Amino acid sequence: MFKKLVLAAMASVGIIASAHAQEQSFKIGLSNSFVGSEWRTQMIEEAQAAAAAWAEKGVKVEVVVQSGNVDVQGQIGHIRNFMNQGVDAVLINPGSPTAFNPIFAQAKARNLLIVATDAEVSSKDAIYVGIDQKAWAMQSAEWLAKTLNGKGNIVAINGIAGNPANELRVAGYKEVFAKYPDIKVLNEANASWDQAQGQQTMQNLLATYPDINGVWVQDGMADGAWRAIEAAGKVEGIAATGEIRKDFMTRWSEKKFNSGASVNPPGVMASALNVAVLKLMGKEFKDGVFGGTYGNAIYIPIPFVDGNNLADNLKAAEGKPGYWSVTATVSAEDAEQYFQ
Amino acid sequence: MTMFNLLRRQPWVITVLVFLILVTVNTVLQPSFVEPSVMQSNLATFLPLILVAIGQTYVILAGDIDLSVGSIVALVNVVTVTVIAALGGTLGAVFGGMAAGFVTGIACGLINGFFISGLRFQPIVTTFATGIIFAGLAIWVLPQAGLPVPDAYWMTYTESVLGIPVVAWVLIAGVVFTLVVSRLPFLTRLTAVGGNRTGAFQTGLSLGGLRIGAYVISGAFASFAALCLTGETASGDPLLGASLALSSISAVVLGGTALAGGFGNATGSVVGALVLGMIGNVIFFAGLPFEYQTLVQGLIVLAALAGGVFVTRR
Repeated sequence: MFKKLVLAAMASVGIIASAHAQEQSFKIGLSNSFVGSEWRTQMIEEAQAAAAAWAEKGVKVEVVVQSGNVDVQGQIGHIRNFMNQGVDAVLINPGSPTAFNPIFAQAKARNLLIVATDAEVSSKDAIYVGIDQKAWAMQSAEWLAKTLNGKGNIVAINGIAGNPANELRVAGYKEVFAKYPDIKVLNEANASWDQAQGQQTMQNLLATYPDINGVWVQDGMADGAWRAIEAAGKVEGIAATGEIRKDFMTRWSEKKFNSGASVNPPGVMASALNVAVLKLMGKEFKDGVFGGTYGNAIYIPIPFVDGNNLADNLKAAEGKPGYWSVTATVSAEDAEQYFQ
Repeated sequence: MTMFNLLRRQPWVITVLVFLILVTVNTVLQPSFVEPSVMQSNLATFLPLILVAIGQTYVILAGDIDLSVGSIVALVNVVTVTVIAALGGTLGAVFGGMAAGFVTGIACGLINGFFISGLRFQPIVTTFATGIIFAGLAIWVLPQAGLPVPDAYWMTYTESVLGIPVVAWVLIAGVVFTLVVSRLPFLTRLTAVGGNRTGAFQTGLSLGGLRIGAYVISGAFASFAALCLTGETASGDPLLGASLALSSISAVVLGGTALAGGFGNATGSVVGALVLGMIGNVIFFAGLPFEYQTLVQGLIVLAALAGGVFVTRR
């Protein structure tokens, strides 16, 4: 009886309903494997906000989050829990490029959409929505090379050897500096993406090489490196890449650092969410939209902060906490460009 | 009081109770928990930690500790996939790779045992250092994650044999191993080494051999865990297993083994590892906000440990 009533009701509003689409509702799981960084917190919060924003368009997006310091096996556990709970899609900031191939295959077999963000995955059963880490590094390396007028001694401070994003970034700056024969890379050190280690490493490098002109350093380690440069009284003589948290940009502006920073926006997961929702709504990807190392990546724009737009970025950061990062999101409207 | 005495002598009974509570809570929050496919997937998730914890137990029973197990897992994983790829990815290559991985794990255990028992190095610092060395070797063998293994490897791992999932067979084999070892004089002697090292030495026990044996067992179980992880991930990753060392020690202590050595059993560690895994699940299905998930997980682990401490305190 109830069924008949519903059918009748649906038939009567059929024409209007088809235009406005019946209230759609999706459940999306977010998996994060590292909690020791405000960037990751901001990433999840922006994704949650993006999900809530879909309500205005009449689409209900429920987000369930699993976040903790877990290794690959723990993150496989996240995906299993999502599968057992019955989500429509999983967004993952993956801890390994290859280790999720079997679990992604199993998830795909159950019709789950898997979208990786922030780090690319090799699986054919997943897509990647995020920045091109290599291009991210090339952009700031190019800035450094141009700032030094293509000439000088450089040191590099990297994250963790073997980490895929790190390897792509290293490949990126190497490619750029190779184009400038008068730029000499004196040393390349690893500091585990740790601010304090970055500072210590920079101190050692400054002590070893008195004639450093430029420093290429990643993320939060840049804050530490700049502290070491300040302590050595070399702010005037050294150009170094920076980072994008409000605290650092404030010091950058006050102490007039000669710096530039590629932005890896925490909004990448929100961007991935917007793409995922459009796909779940039944849209099909345009031909040729995928590229990257594994042919499954949609690269999104990478903003850049330097002396020219530092003031604007600080203005946008007003009222935000000190750890807030410059961000950018591919909005639901912008994400339409990837679809037919 | 007899109940209390039982708990005092068998503190892992508390952990079994905690496990049953977690299973009940999980089933209420997620009714599908009892479905065979869901249980299989959970077991697959917990299995590597269970295996590493079994091996860790014997080291801890002897009054030592092994902080290098996570790195051994990574090294065995990359050696296995590299050898499989080098031999051409045939069925024979898969077995060759698994054998090479297993030998690597045993060798790591021998190295730990040699430094600690042979040269009398301090166990915490030594295995911390060898852990760094093994991790470094793993990056040297396979600088970047990759090298997929043949599909047959991971597909077999997710399948069933004689109606029972492969992961369950591995668990059964592990538990049978612990039960068999618990009947052997080896375990009594090992426990004596951990409980009263001077006394054990004076009774003429071969301390060196026993302690090295424990590290070799730990290395062997780390390699079993790595082979399971290879089935899970179907590829090599030099950064695998980073959290396994401390998790396995927690599992051992939850399972009723004294961290100072001389008391406990490996079967309890299996339950301890299951509890650690279940805590993560319950937190997810309880729908906690993500900011609190890590905190609550830590609190529950602490509470579970406290249960054992209060019971065994005299």
